[in-house]
Amino acid sequence: MKLSVAENWVEAPLKQFVDEARVQLAVLLNPSGQVLGQFGFASSVDVMTACALAAATTASSGELGRLVDGRPFAGLHYAGKVRQIFLGQVPMGAGTLILLTVFDEESSLGLVQVFFAELCVALAGVVQPDAPTTPALAEDFERELNRNLSVMFGRS
Amino acid sequence: MSSPFTALLQSLIRHRGVTGCMVVGEGDGMIVDSSLQIGVNGDAFAALTASLYRKARRAAAAAGFGETGFFELDADGGRMCAAGRNDLVIVVIAEPRVNVGLLRVEMLQALESFA
Repeated sequence: MKLSVAENWVEAPLKQFVDEARVQLAVLLNPSGQVLGQFGFASSVDVMTACALAAATTASSGELGRLVDGRPFAGLHYAGKVRQIFLGQVPMGAGTLILLTVFDEESSLGLVQVFFAELCVALAGVVQPDAPTTPALAEDFERELNRNLSVMFGRS
Repeated sequence: MSSPFTALLQSLIRHRGVTGCMVVGEGDGMIVDSSLQIGVNGDAFAALTASLYRKARRAAAAAGFGETGFFELDADGGRMCAAGRNDLVIVVIAEPRVNVGLLRVEMLQALESFA
């Protein structure tokens, strides 16, 4: 399995998370759905789909949290029969990033949460507070998305 | 708020040298109930210990040793003991001076209530 990143500053923290939490898949993205780094995905289409769904789910659960609890839910966990999904928000200065990760019985929700907390600290330490949270303009979105996928999967 | 494990945890934490005890889900590494002294990172300890216990149990099974009854980890600054049944693990964090024999008996007895 190969880790690939579109932004160099995410590489070390994401690699540490993947190595220690023993997850099968991980993708770090910004709230607009643009990928910053991924581990375990075989194709750019899979990454693009996962990012779109993760961004949409985070937006939906955030609104649901505001309705229920007055503030957005910080994390989401789904336990399937064999695999589980954890979706968490990484606070970054004024904004957030999103981590989507998939794991099986080699890991656990507890482990993922522990190393996710460490990932948040590590990312906060290596990044300028407002650098990754700049939202993509609508007209730039597709170009930026394709650029990031090209960097990670090596296609033009 | 009390749980079915409150009495067990209160009994374990009274042992001289015990700094924390928890009942943890073996599969998810989450704390079910705990009694911890200040300074113990319970969430991290629970997740890592459950993972360790699970792997030790699998290793024992793979080696044909059968079920893992009691698991103990010795370090310079302390000890960690774990015993589990039915997807629940009792975890005890202790100083090196703790009476492990007594602790072990109590933990194994407590497992009977997990059946």
